[in-house]
Parts: sequence; C-alpha cells; structure tokens
Amino acid sequence: MLKRCCLVLAVALCAAAAPVAAQTATANLDDRIQDVKGDVIRLNRDLMVLEEELLFPANTQVAIFVSMDVGRLFSLDSVKIRLDDKDVANYLYTPAEVQALHRGGVQRVYVGNLKAGSHELVAFFTGKGPHDRDYKRGATIRFDKGTEPKYIELQIKDSTGKLQPEFEVKVWQ
Amino acid sequence: MRDGAHPIRRALRLAACALALACAAPAHAQFGWGNSLWPSTKKTEAPTGVQDPHYGDGLFYFYQGRYFSAVTSLMVSQHFDRMPKHADEAEVLRGGLFLSYGLHREAGEIFARLIERGAPPPVRDRAWFFLAKIRYQRGLHAQAEEALARIENTLPGELQEDRVLLQAQLAMARGDYAAAVRALDALAKSGKPGSDAAMYARYNLGVAMIKGGETAKGAALLDEVGRASTASEEFRSLRDKANVALGFAALQEDRADDARRWLERVRLTGMLANKALLGFGWAAASGKNLNAALVPWTELASRDPSDAAVLEAKLAVPYAYAELGAYGRALGLYQDAIGAFEQENARLDESIAAIRAGRLLAGLIERNPGEEMGWFWNIAELPELPHASHLAPVLAQHEFQEAFKNYRDLLFLARNLEQWEASLDVLRAMLANRRQAFAERLPAVRAKERSIDLGLYDGKRDALRAELERVEREADVAAFADARERALQARIDNVRAIVERGGNDPEIAAARERLRRAAGALHWQQTQNFADRLWQAKKNLAELERNLGEAHAREAALGRAQRDEPAKLDAFAARIEALAARVKALQPRVAELAVAQQNHVQELAVAELTKQKERLAAYVSQARFAVAQIYDRANLAKGDGGAPPR
Repeated sequence: MLKRCCLVLAVALCAAAAPVAAQTATANLDDRIQDVKGDVIRLNRDLMVLEEELLFPANTQVAIFVSMDVGRLFSLDSVKIRLDDKDVANYLYTPAEVQALHRGGVQRVYVGNLKAGSHELVAFFTGKGPHDRDYKRGATIRFDKGTEPKYIELQIKDSTGKLQPEFEVKVWQ
Repeated sequence: MRDGAHPIRRALRLAACALALACAAPAHAQFGWGNSLWPSTKKTEAPTGVQDPHYGDGLFYFYQGRYFSAVTSLMVSQHFDRMPKHADEAEVLRGGLFLSYGLHREAGEIFARLIERGAPPPVRDRAWFFLAKIRYQRGLHAQAEEALARIENTLPGELQEDRVLLQAQLAMARGDYAAAVRALDALAKSGKPGSDAAMYARYNLGVAMIKGGETAKGAALLDEVGRASTASEEFRSLRDKANVALGFAALQEDRADDARRWLERVRLTGMLANKALLGFGWAAASGKNLNAALVPWTELASRDPSDAAVLEAKLAVPYAYAELGAYGRALGLYQDAIGAFEQENARLDESIAAIRAGRLLAGLIERNPGEEMGWFWNIAELPELPHASHLAPVLAQHEFQEAFKNYRDLLFLARNLEQWEASLDVLRAMLANRRQAFAERLPAVRAKERSIDLGLYDGKRDALRAELERVEREADVAAFADARERALQARIDNVRAIVERGGNDPEIAAARERLRRAAGALHWQQTQNFADRLWQAKKNLAELERNLGEAHAREAALGRAQRDEPAKLDAFAARIEALAARVKALQPRVAELAVAQQNHVQELAVAELTKQKERLAAYVSQARFAVAQIYDRANLAKGDGGAPPR
C-alpha cells in the first residue's frame, strides 16, 4: 500500500516537474534566440560599415536621396539619375515604397564615388500628375564635391499655388 | 438520466467555460505594436520633417515593414554619426525595433539610457511607455505601472491609446476592475465611434465591467459592440466574439431568449459560427424545445469534424433524439458518432505524423515568403497537409505564432549570414585586385613623380612674383604690353633710331614730333590699362600658386598613399577576416537554434492535436456510455415487457 502511495506521489511529482522543466527549456531557448538575433544585427552593422568604408570612402562618397513632401499632385513611378552625363540609377517604385515616401521616409536611391571638383546631376521623375496625366519632369543641379561626403536630396513637393508638383534639389553638405 | 451526469450537459459546461475564458481575455489586437512604434505610422498622418536624410532612410525601410533593414540602416548611420538632429528619435525607433524582435533586454537598456541622459520630455515619455510595455511583457506589473506613471504628457497618435489600454491591462491584471473601467471608459469616450481603439476599448471595458461585478453595464457595452456595423473582417470577428460571450453568459444564467437573440447575430461563416450554433441549440433545448434544437445541431454535426463544437454536436443530436424518445435513431447516431470520432482520431494521427515530418513548418514558410524577420506578419493560409483544418486552432494560438515567428526569423538570419559569406568573398577579391593594381601602378607613379620637379616650378613662381612686385613698385606699364603693343613699341623704337640718325633736318623734326606723340599715346594707353592688367596678373599668380599648392598636396598625398596604402589594405583584410570569423561562428549557432526551435514549434502543434485526441477519447467514452444506457433502457423495457428501442 505504502509502495503504491509512493509511486502515485512520484508520478504526481514528475507530472508537476515536467511542465516547469519544459517552461525553463523554452525560456532558455528564447534567451538564446534573443542573443543570436542581437549578435546577427550587430554583425550586420559592422559588415555594412566595412562595406561602405571599402566601397564608398568618405572623401569620394556621394549619396542621392529621394523624398516626398505631401505628394498628392504626383504619383511617382520611377526616377532616373544622370551624374556627369552618365546614367547611374534608374529606379522603379513599388506601391509600398511610394507609401513609405508619403509617410516621411527618405530613400537613398544611389551611393557612389566622385572625384573632388564640379559635377552635374540631372534627375528625371516619371509618374502621374494632376488629372492622372502622364508626367515627366527633370531637375538639374551643379555642385562642388570636396573631400567630405556629399548628400543630395531630390525633393518632390506639391505647389498648392500652381496646383502642380515641384521637383527641387537640396544639397545637404 | 440526470442532467449533471449527461455527457452533453458536460459538453455545454465545457463550451461555456471556454467561452467565458474567451470573454475574460481582453481582445489583444489593440496591441498592434508595429503601429505604435512611431507616431507617424498611420497612413493618414502627414510626414514628419526629416532633418537628416539618413534618418529618413531608416524610416523608409521601417514604413515598408522591413524592420531588419531599418534597424541595421539606423545603426550604420549612428556609427557614422550621420543623424545628429534625430539622435534621440533614432534611438527610440531602434529600441522599438529591438522590442519588436523580442530583444527585451537590449530594448530596455536603450530606453533606460535615453531617460538617464535626460532626453527631451516627448522622447522620455515614449521611452517610459516602451519600458512599461517591456516590463508588462515580462510580468513585472508593478514596475510597469511605475513606468507608466512617469509619463508626463499625452503621447502622440496611437501611442496614447496604447498607453491607456496598457494601463487597463495592468489594472485588470491586479484585479482592480474599477480602475480598468475608469481607464477604458475615458478611451471609449475619447475615441471616434467605430474607430479601432474605440471598438476594442468598448469590448475590453465590457469584459472588465462584468469581471468587476457590473454585469448589466458590461453586457450593455458588449451588446453595443455586438451590434456595431463594420466592413472590416477583424471587427466582424470581434463582434461575433462579443455576441458569443453574451450568448453563453445568458445560457449559464438560464436566459434562453436573451442567449438566442445574441447568438442569432453571429455570422454563419465566421470563426465562431460553430460555437454559436451549438449554443443556439442549447438555448432551444433549455426551453424544452428539442425539435428546435435539432435544427442548428444537425447543421453543425454535418460540418468539418475538426472543430470541437462539431464533435459536440455529433453527441448533442442523438442526445436530443433520445430525449424525444427516438432511441433507435439516437442509438444509430451515437454509433455513427463513435465511428466519426475514431476516423477523426486516425486523421489526427496522420496530422501529427505530418507535423513531425516537418511538413507543417515547410508549408507555412512556403505560404509566407516574407523577406525580412519581424514581428508583425500573419499566417495567411493553411498549408497543404492531410487534414489542414486540424491546424486552425493550432495556428490561432499566440504561443504557436510567436514560436513560429522565431523559427522564421532564424531562417532569415541563416540566409542573411549565407549572403554575407558570399559578399565577403567578393570584398576579399576586390581587396586583392586593389593590392595588385597598387603594386602594378606604383613603379609608373614613382617614375612620373621623379620626372616632375615641382621645385623648378616653385622657382619660376618665385621669379614671377618678384617681377610682378617690381612692375607694381616701378609702375612699369610697358611690362604688360600685349603682342600688338609690343609690335607698335618695336616700330616706335625703329623710327626713333632713324630719327636720331637724321640730325637737325626740319623734316626730321616733324617726324620726331609725330614719334613723340605716337610713343606718348602708346604709353598713355598702357598707363590706362595698367591697373586692370596688374589685377589680372595678380589673379593669375594667385591661381598659379593655388595650382602649385594642390600639386604639392597631391605629391604629399601620393607619398602618404605609397607609405600608408599597404597598411590600409592590410587593415581592411584583417577586418574582413575578423568579420568572416564572426559569420562562421554564428552560422552553426543559428542552424542549431533553428532545429531546436523547429522541434519546439512542432511539439506545440502536436500538443494541441494531442489535446484534441484526448477530447475525442472522452467523447467516444461518453457516446459508448450513452449507447450502453440506451441498451440498458431497452433491456429493462424488454424485461418489463415494453417495446425495444425505436
């Protein structure tokens, strides 16, 4: 009788201990996954830093961004960028990307290298303008590249006065 | 047969308990953390003014749901210090993204640092809010409430709604339903009628009120949710949930008419339709109208048997026939039910085998080919498995979804590491090319360097500078003579020589006078142009000096490059190898965890199906017991000389 009671008790204890052990194992697995995720994110940062320093050193780096302020008068399809008469980027946007631009995102559409000196940038924006008409506009800027990285932003804005989209170029540095 | 002992009555109690639990659990869709990470994530909201383009770049990925790219882009820009004007905002976003990946510890450290370093109040408030969320997730309720109390001002956008909902969750967690009611009531009043937050707030408020003892008020709120018209599937489900909860609560209180009224509102095709049909039948049965109960139960019994309510209906239908005295029909249906349960049990075994063979996870991954790891994605379709409908309750489990997301994230990390492994090979090759090009070009560059003597040009520049100083000092206007003037001056000099040889001849005297005038005119013109020419000459000299300076700088840079380039290339090579070693070290860790997580996810699914098997076993026992009872009744009737079962 006593033996049977002990057996029942042992079974009961095992039954109680099993879920605790399982929970601990799960928590342990979760912790290890958290750690590995953090490590991979940090590794990605370090790899991207290395890649950028190697491929686009600061003294020659030029980065071109696209942004949209309101953008109700223009529905963006694509952007083509020419740097010193060479096509360097031709980007076709997905609806999710256009939405991200509408919400305040700024896309780094091109990163490359330029020698110090004077350069010309021409950007062509293609899409739908007011009344759903095909719309293509260009914006040009000459800029000087020194030994610091150069950041240039192509801005798509709404001109409420003219009821037309406007395309401006801002040189950050 | 006593009601309390009857398997079908017990089934009702079980269903009622399950639904009471569903009612007690607040609707959790309000914690759409993805939408609350940032104030401007609502599609209708105007974009925030980005003052550092690289910060906008992070937002560009974030708004597309590409959270891995967003967080790495932010961290790279932080490394290069490219977001000075958004330093705090970027840190809050990074913390939120870490939190999204379940990196609670690191997210908590980020928010704590923001608070410690005295970030501006709006940033600090958001940091406290996220800290509260983290603490709540980890079950540290008191600390979470403390963090919430530190928020000084109204939070922007959806964050404020989330803050109130969190406050209510915490109050409910410590059993203070009155406080939960107060918090949710304010939100329900402030929210636009029909808005996401208002609907969820009303639902949760109803639950809190019922739990707090204010049953009538709570039921009225749930009733309001249960009647709301909405086009969204999410809120139709919430509406069904409210009506089912109300219906079963009424059934428990023997208010059959109310129960029927609420259960009638539930859609026949929704997730809760089967439960509603079961309850609807019980509402009729409790009014002793078993014929009416048979209508929903018969419909329910013909549905997919993977739903517990359908299995219960397979018992409820013969129960009703037995109660109506149609024992023969009841007996046949009980035996049919036993057959169906055994078939279902075999199907469950097949599903379990398929899950353990990895087919569930492979199917889910195939149907959800998201690019990046992240928190906010949905299991859109059921994978093709022998009996996919078994999986609906498995997939609906929060624990399963979280575990599966972790598994999916690990697969993403494995692919990411694999891609970097290939990219590092490319970088190695590029570096080797650079080294080779450097070695090849160096002799030519050195030869050219030797052929150009910048010192010579320096000497020429110095001579020019000295000459210019003399010309300015002596006002030597003729020094800037152009070709025409020099030709004129030569002719004047020739004529002067002739005139001087002509002595005192009167004709010569006239020529001398003309010569004097011509020479004077030339000198006058040169004097007039002197200032301009001097300025131009100085400008040219300055340009020459600048060019020469640049040439010296290039020469120095070339010298430095010759000296430093090999060391620089070596440093890059060392970094590549160090990073490659980290990639290599992480790959087996990720692979091992992916396998462990796969097993964990599969076992979660198997555990759920095992529960279904246990339920089936119980149903089989109940059905057999009922069959035995019918036979007993028949035997008794035979013994008494009565009729056998009809």
